[in-house]
Order: sequence, then C-alpha cells, then structure tokens
Amino acid sequence: MTAQVSERLIYGGKEITLFSNPLSLYLQQTGTSFESPHTACWRGYVGTWEIIESGGVERLYLVALAAHKTYEEVLSLPDVFPGYEKVFAHWFSGELRCPQGEMLDYVHGGYASTYEYDLLMEFKQGVLVNKHARHNKPPPKKDEKDYPSFLRRGNV
Amino acid sequence: MFDSFSSTSSFSSYTFWGLAWWVWLGIYILPGIFYVSYHLLKEYRDRPSEFARDLLAAMGRTRGIKDVLGDILVYTIASVLILSTWPAVAVWSFYKKRQDAAREIENSKPDFSCSAKYLVSKVDPHDAEVVSYVIDPLGYVPSLPFGHLNKAWGAFLSEMMDPTDELWSFHIPKGSKCGRHGFAASGDIRGFAHVRSGEILGELITESD
Repeated sequence: MTAQVSERLIYGGKEITLFSNPLSLYLQQTGTSFESPHTACWRGYVGTWEIIESGGVERLYLVALAAHKTYEEVLSLPDVFPGYEKVFAHWFSGELRCPQGEMLDYVHGGYASTYEYDLLMEFKQGVLVNKHARHNKPPPKKDEKDYPSFLRRGNV
Repeated sequence: MFDSFSSTSSFSSYTFWGLAWWVWLGIYILPGIFYVSYHLLKEYRDRPSEFARDLLAAMGRTRGIKDVLGDILVYTIASVLILSTWPAVAVWSFYKKRQDAAREIENSKPDFSCSAKYLVSKVDPHDAEVVSYVIDPLGYVPSLPFGHLNKAWGAFLSEMMDPTDELWSFHIPKGSKCGRHGFAASGDIRGFAHVRSGEILGELITESD
C-alpha cells in the first residue's frame, strides 16, 4: 500500500485537499477506467472539484481532470466529458472529507493519515446540504505486539 | 456367506473366500496407497520454488531440522489415517469437491450492491426516465434522462431483452450490509435493478458516494 494522491477541492476561493473520490461512481457505472501512473495513484486520475453557489444552492462540479489513458497519454476533462468545461456531479450523495491543519499521523496507505481537523461536507445528488468540522486526536501508538503475528516483521 | 471361512490353529492361515486375510487387507489398502501416493506426489510438485525458499530464507524463515521432523510426523500420521480410512476420505473428498465447485459458481456471479430486500417498487422504464432529468442552473449537465449517466442507463436498458424482465428501483440505506462481502454502505445508495424471475441480473447505481 502507498498513500494516495488526493483530489483537489476549490471552496470559498481556496484550493484544499480532498480525501474522497466523487468521480468513482460515474467511472464504475460507465465502465471507464484509467491506467495507474505510479503506486501513489492507483485510480489513474486526479480531479479538481469546485463548490459553486447559484441561487443560494451550493453544488459540486468537476472543473479539471488529469486522467492517464496510458502512462504517457493524459486526458483532460473535455476528453472524458466532450463538450463540457465543468461537470455537475449529480450522482454524488455522501460525504466529502477535507483534511485540515497539521498531519498527526502518517499512514502509508490510501487516505488513512490523520490530520488535526476534517472538514466534512454532506451532499445530496450533488447539492451541499450540511457541513461541519471534526477535531481529530492522534491515534494511540502501536507496538509490534499489537499486530497479529502474520503482520510482524522478521522473527519478532 | 461364512461357508468359505476356514481357519487352522495358526492366525496367519485364516482365509475368507479362499483368500488369506492379509490378501484381503492388501486389497483394501491398495486404493489408499494410490490415493496417498497421488497426493504426496502432488505435494512434492507444488513445493515452494527455489526462489520462494530463498525469499523465505532472506526473511529469516529458514526451516530447521525440527520443522522437517514435524513435517515427516504429520505426513506419516496423515498417510496412516488415509490408508486405514480411505473410503471415508474418498466420500469427504467428493463432497468437498462439490462444495468447491458450488463456491466457484457463486464467486463467478457478478457482485451487485443491491439484493432483494432493498428493492422498492417495480418501475416502468419510461416513468423512470421522466423523473430522472437533472436540474443545473449553470447548465453543466446534459438534458437527457439521468444526465451524465445517460449512456450507462442506455447500456443497462439494452440488457433487458427478455419479455419477463422487470425494472425495479432500489434503496440501500446508509450502514446497511450490501454486496457479496456484506460491507456496510458508507452512504445511501439508490438506483435501478434488472430483475428476472425474482433474480437480480443487473444494476445501475444512480446515486452514491
């Protein structure tokens, strides 16, 4: 496992890290897949998202994409969504997690690292319906003996 | 039946249907010998490669004399057990093969999030399309049923060719167990299922995280 490159989210004019993959359902349902360029990006793409307010409603849009068709060939958003410079993520219902502050614990896999805060935003069909921040504590340190024997190193 | 049973004062001369007891014992054990030989040969052929042994050695997992003696003991006990009880082992092996085959068939089935308990209601495809249009004031979604998922909807519908096929809507509430492995849904999941004779043959998820 390797920690994965995050998605990006533009919110309130600021670009922040996004530890969720709102595009995955679209790709799964349309049978689209990309090549992984390296072990820190198994999904093969990095999307930039933006929450845009219109008529008092905030919606989630995909505004940029760098997706590896092959190792060398990188597709942009109009290549994947022809005719669109932005894409409304109407399929997304769930929570986006944006880590904030200092990294308290690094985990060498996925989006498992812990940060001081998580900004959690809940969406319903691509529309922002709720948001709140969660204060995280550093996870307790683990010793070798806390792991099952098959995960321990060498003859420990 | 026991007419042919005869004995003399010596135990070694007991006969049954004209054959000595040890011949009968040999006949009984013979299939067991084949069974044990076959599996020992298979184990030998499936032994770790030199590369794997080197890798294990590099990880500090070298096998000592104790491990080898342990293996010999285990194989000896297993061989004696199989030789003496091979009919029971053969029956067990037959049922295990059947179980493995059934599991293989189950594993080869597509893994859908939806199951029968999450089906909500039977839907007409036209009605499903009418209510599926997505509203975006900025216009970043096609004016088609299911918006950006329109192609996926088309592909999903094209699989429903049988006159008995039914379209059902489904809803998996957050936290419910779904999929083959029964993982808890991290959020609400909504979509449509392709159902034939009560069996789910396909699904289109239109809303999830």
